[in-house]
Amino acid sequence: MGYSSKSPWLIHYDGSSCNGCDIEVLDSLTPLYDLERFGIINTGNPKHADIFLVTGAVNHQNMNVVKHIYDQMMEPKVVVACGICACTGGVFRDAYNVIGGVDKAIPVDVYAPGCAVRPETIIDAVLKAVEILDEKAAKLAGNKR
Amino acid sequence: MATLGFLVAFPLLVAVALMVFRTDSARDPIVIGSAAVIGAASVVCAVQFMNAPTSFAVPYDFSFAGNILSAAIDLFLCGLVLAFALRYRNFAMLVLAIVQFIASIWCASMAIAPEDIMAEPLYIDNLSIIMILIVGLVGSAICIYALGYMKDFQHHEEAEAEKRGEHAPDRRHQFIALMFLFLSGMFIIVISDNMDWLVAGWEITTVCSFLMIGYTRTPEARKSAILQINLNMVGGLAFHIALILIHLVHIPLSIGGLIEVAQSGEAEYLIIPILLLSIAGLTKAAQMPFHRWLLGAMVAPTPTSALLHSSTMVKAGVFLLMKLAPAYLVFPAASVMVVMVGGVTFVLCSFMAITQSNAKRVLAYSTIANLGLISACAGVGIAEAAWAGIFLIIFHTVSKSILFLCVGTVEHRIGSRNIEDMDGLFSRLPRLTRFMMLGILGMVVAPFGMLISKWATLVSFAETGNVVFLILLAFGSAATFFYWAKWLGKLAGVAQKAENVEAGVHKTEWFAIGFIAVLMLGCCVGLPVISLGVVSPYLERVFGSNPQFLGVDNMLIMAVIVAFIAIVFLTPWGRASKKRRVEVYLGGTCTDPDSRRFHGAMGRTMTSVKRNWYMTDIFPEKTVTAVGIIVCGAVILMAFAASFIFNPDVLTGGAFYIERIPRLVGPELPGLLLGIVVFAVVAPVLGCLLDGLDRKVSAHMQGRVGPRLLQPYYDVRKLLAKEQASVNAVDEAYITCAIIFCILAGGMFISGSNLLMCVFLVTLATLFVIIAAYSARSPFADTGADRECLQVMSYEPMLLIMTVGFFAATQSFDVASLLGLDAPIIIQLVPIFLGLLFILTIKLRKSPFDYSYSHHAHQELVKGITTEMEGRTLAKVEIMHWCETVLFLMWTGMFFIWDNPISIVVALVAVAVVWFLEVFIDNNSARTKWQFGLKSAWLVALVVGVVNLFYMLVTPFI
Repeated sequence: MGYSSKSPWLIHYDGSSCNGCDIEVLDSLTPLYDLERFGIINTGNPKHADIFLVTGAVNHQNMNVVKHIYDQMMEPKVVVACGICACTGGVFRDAYNVIGGVDKAIPVDVYAPGCAVRPETIIDAVLKAVEILDEKAAKLAGNKR
Repeated sequence: MATLGFLVAFPLLVAVALMVFRTDSARDPIVIGSAAVIGAASVVCAVQFMNAPTSFAVPYDFSFAGNILSAAIDLFLCGLVLAFALRYRNFAMLVLAIVQFIASIWCASMAIAPEDIMAEPLYIDNLSIIMILIVGLVGSAICIYALGYMKDFQHHEEAEAEKRGEHAPDRRHQFIALMFLFLSGMFIIVISDNMDWLVAGWEITTVCSFLMIGYTRTPEARKSAILQINLNMVGGLAFHIALILIHLVHIPLSIGGLIEVAQSGEAEYLIIPILLLSIAGLTKAAQMPFHRWLLGAMVAPTPTSALLHSSTMVKAGVFLLMKLAPAYLVFPAASVMVVMVGGVTFVLCSFMAITQSNAKRVLAYSTIANLGLISACAGVGIAEAAWAGIFLIIFHTVSKSILFLCVGTVEHRIGSRNIEDMDGLFSRLPRLTRFMMLGILGMVVAPFGMLISKWATLVSFAETGNVVFLILLAFGSAATFFYWAKWLGKLAGVAQKAENVEAGVHKTEWFAIGFIAVLMLGCCVGLPVISLGVVSPYLERVFGSNPQFLGVDNMLIMAVIVAFIAIVFLTPWGRASKKRRVEVYLGGTCTDPDSRRFHGAMGRTMTSVKRNWYMTDIFPEKTVTAVGIIVCGAVILMAFAASFIFNPDVLTGGAFYIERIPRLVGPELPGLLLGIVVFAVVAPVLGCLLDGLDRKVSAHMQGRVGPRLLQPYYDVRKLLAKEQASVNAVDEAYITCAIIFCILAGGMFISGSNLLMCVFLVTLATLFVIIAAYSARSPFADTGADRECLQVMSYEPMLLIMTVGFFAATQSFDVASLLGLDAPIIIQLVPIFLGLLFILTIKLRKSPFDYSYSHHAHQELVKGITTEMEGRTLAKVEIMHWCETVLFLMWTGMFFIWDNPISIVVALVAVAVVWFLEVFIDNNSARTKWQFGLKSAWLVALVVGVVNLFYMLVTPFI
């Protein structure tokens, strides 16, 4: 019995990437895929969001931004690393300024690889994330009691 | 009689004593003690003469001596002004002073003629008692306040003078002595029936305020003082000429007598004198075109402003108009003049208050605007209007004096009276700010007295069919909401790490502010008692009718709401101190949330700054002032011209109006409570389903499947289960208030109770959402809240026009009256219905008017007004939105209800069509600029209001 999975609101942040995954994420939010069917809303506000979709790698510039957005989200929350750069740093991993995947900055729950990541993969990843969200919500409710 | 004598004489003695004992140690006990004595004496006087209007017969010699003394005072003061005019070398002042001196001599020579000595020169009734209490309690509290304030003031002056290498003389004894002299003058005005005596008090207040405004002796103060005396001399002159004219036709100079004469065959002699007396009252009440003295008076130390503009000086003006009120029923020219001047002043000064950032100037404009409203009420001359006017006087006095005193103290604490600098005051001066917020609420929102009185004003103007004024009132009220709400927002911002600078506030200042706040809450809670026990008997006697606007049950509910709001603001109730604190959202990273600093591009630290909206391009102060002066000046000239053109039969023919007594058909308290419970249970369910349907239908319009029907329910359940965190401890409490008010509003509507109160409560709910958003001090939430204020300002006129239309069609403000109609009100109110449809889009926050918040994907404001609300708070906002949707749709449905069960079906169909139309508009239009929203909404309200109300209210006369 989880309401979190029925209403996963997300926020999307694009780190240092080639913008390919970024475009794919936006694509999957178009009416064609109709994510609102699952109750998904792109909120653009960390305080309202349950799922944090990150595309692109983490570097020294955006490390704090990613952390800050994550901190401002309320529990329960789930992080989805979209695309290979977000997972591991991808082709940029050896660049002088890149630190690596998103997990260098914040705990990642679901990795969705791909270059660029396909909308189908994103949707799969989000559905996986939703399950984790429910688990976390149940745990939070358990803690409250 | 002894009490009255004491009230006049005692402050004089105190003034003399204060001139003698000049040290702080002697002054403090004298002032505190005598203020207490004056307060007590005014209460004793009130108890003694309550509901026992009395004329006091005095021995002939005493009365004669009184006349001579008043004439002497009058001449002395004229001489004093003349001396000042010579000293300041001001030509206009000199000319006016000379003319007035001549008039005074003429007047005095007739005043001491034996046949004009009155046997009963003093008179007291409930109106005088109210004024005595205002002057005695609020006025003397301000005197106490002045002690602490002037210490800081003098300290500041000395520091400034030292910088220039000069010495600042300590003239505080003069200042405080003047204040007591002023009180004495006020007492003379309110208890004199003999106008020769009254004019002496009138001149005392004028000259005292001249001296108090000029107290600092700076060039600016001198300029303001000269402006004040010049404009008030015009009024004084009008007063004197009126007295001379009355003397010449040998009518006794009793105010009460004037009314009797006006209603007799000799009325034609009074046409010009009444016009002149009205002008005297309007000048003193700072109405356009004479309003500029009040703005200039703001340079004076704050106790002056508080005394002059909240409790005494300006109230003397409206007191005179109020006394003349029954006469306005006889003299249409004077009545139209006073109503139009008051109405135009109200709306234009409300507009100009929006453009001001100086707190004292905002207060000044708001004072002028409210006095305009009171004057207009007096000018109508019927009992309902007088009821409204008297309550406006009471509530304006208490609310405004709290605000003046708070602004004065705040200025000494933070060194500024600019509203922009009051950011985060909620944490820096916690107690003072809460009092200030209470004062503002008292000025603007239901259920505090101000709005109840505005409501009564609405009724009385609907009765007389004064469409022009109704429209002015609707727009002025909307502007009023805007400037108060944005100030309230500045105050409400909670800074996390602010330093509390409240320690230096003097005890005397705390006492005065606290005392007046208690008075204000007392007046609000005790409104039914004051109305039934004090004001009604007065109206019964003077106007011979006793208006009933709203049932006692409604008043009770309001009293409960006042108590509730006081609890929210003044106690720690609802403070979620256990919640996790989070920083405000600033897009990127936030380095210091309190000062709103964030890491910007190129590694720079940026600061986000947000200022209030002033709309100087929409309401340019200079142009608006010019318009006001020209229009009001023209109205006054036309009134005089009319007095010479038309024959006396017309001029004393009386105003024509149709008695429209509101029918009270609403439910009793149990019915109301039942309605509230039903609404609280049903509306969220219905609203949730409607919201789900909305999203489903929208999705289909966009070629999608869309979410499940119960999606909004799932969203809210999820939000309720989220972690509890917030940027401050108060926002959830405000949102809880908002949802409660919204449910109350809905409950009142479905139980068939008062529609106007329902509208006001919805506005109150919105105001609390706005305060909650402002409290975060986040740039996104602030901008969202600003735009929400703007939206309220845009749709408020239309809502007021809708309720007036409803009243005109059903003869009642109670929704239950619909069930007794032969035909639905839509038949008469098609234009108003269309106007309602227009603003419904704004109210439901649908595109193209979703400025403050949008349920669509990204907008430039992130999530606008809800940006900083999370978890449970956001869930409450959603639930409130459901309730609002249901309520607003019911408003459209009520147009189709009549005395027939089928009408329910018709109404449901109509509501369904309206709802579908709204969804369609939402999906097929892009967001416009706010300028378009404001202008189009006002244009629609104006056109629709004029057309439909004219049809409804004026056709019965034809």
